[in-house]
Amino acid sequence: MSAQISLKDLEKNVFQKSFQDGLIDIQIGCVLVMFAVAPLLSPYLGDFWSSMIFLPFWGVIYLGVREIRKKIIQPRVGIVEFGKYRKTRQKKLNLVILVFNLLVLALGVASFFNFADLPGWVHPIRFSAVILVGFSLAGYMLEFPRLYFYGILISLAPLIGEFLYTTFHASHHGFPITFGITSLLIILFGLGTFLRLLKEHPVVSQEELE
Amino acid sequence: MIDESREIKENHPLSDIDQVIHAPARLMILVLLYVVESLDYVFLKNQTGLSWGNLSTHLGKLENAGYIDIEKGYQGKKPQSKIKLTPQGREAFKNYKSNLQTVLDDLPD
Repeated sequence: MSAQISLKDLEKNVFQKSFQDGLIDIQIGCVLVMFAVAPLLSPYLGDFWSSMIFLPFWGVIYLGVREIRKKIIQPRVGIVEFGKYRKTRQKKLNLVILVFNLLVLALGVASFFNFADLPGWVHPIRFSAVILVGFSLAGYMLEFPRLYFYGILISLAPLIGEFLYTTFHASHHGFPITFGITSLLIILFGLGTFLRLLKEHPVVSQEELE
Repeated sequence: MIDESREIKENHPLSDIDQVIHAPARLMILVLLYVVESLDYVFLKNQTGLSWGNLSTHLGKLENAGYIDIEKGYQGKKPQSKIKLTPQGREAFKNYKSNLQTVLDDLPD
């Protein structure tokens, strides 16, 4: 029995190591940049376009990360394919994400219709709850503990922002400050992890592989 | 070269233990392959800490025993191999685990 448990732990450790390249952190941080910068662009571009202009930016980041993983990470760390257990878990996560996104969409549509009637704190609390639940679900399904921490960190951003807005009249509900700091912290952590990995895993030469 | 299967006398309690698997380096390789679907040389080297030479030798022994399958291919100009546990290897590993457990459980405290 103990042998089974340790093998399961080993599989989990190997799986968790596949997230230790820092790229997922950089991606999360780059997504958050939108929440910091879009409110500042809103007076010039409007609410819709100030967010939409980030789509190509996210696309570039996504493609960039994919290429970096393929050309820089994989030759150093190697390639591993996980078994049925992980594949089933991944499928479940995709389903959960789909249901979660539909719920968020429904919430968004609902707030569009009663936006004016809601008191100031309702939006940041709802936003924080959605982020916390989303990241916790992903952390649980992927067995990736850092996502719980990110969930807490990111869900604090709208609440602290609202506090800064109500107390110190910070512009744009404090989003540029709180999301700016949060995204910067996450990106810096990701960059640090990425650079450490490059230092610890030198490129394997073709001669060694042959 | 020493024939590892002859290292233990036939009537010894450990004679049921598969000597191809029992070497620490090969056991480490098989344990990793047991928990994933496939991996490549670089990943295996990083996980086991073995040198290229040792890794190649042990993989050769496991491949000769029919416990692993090495699918050699290329990604661009770089060689890229996919190493998998065969059904025979999976069965042998399960037997090894249960045999070793039996032998160890029989020992007095």
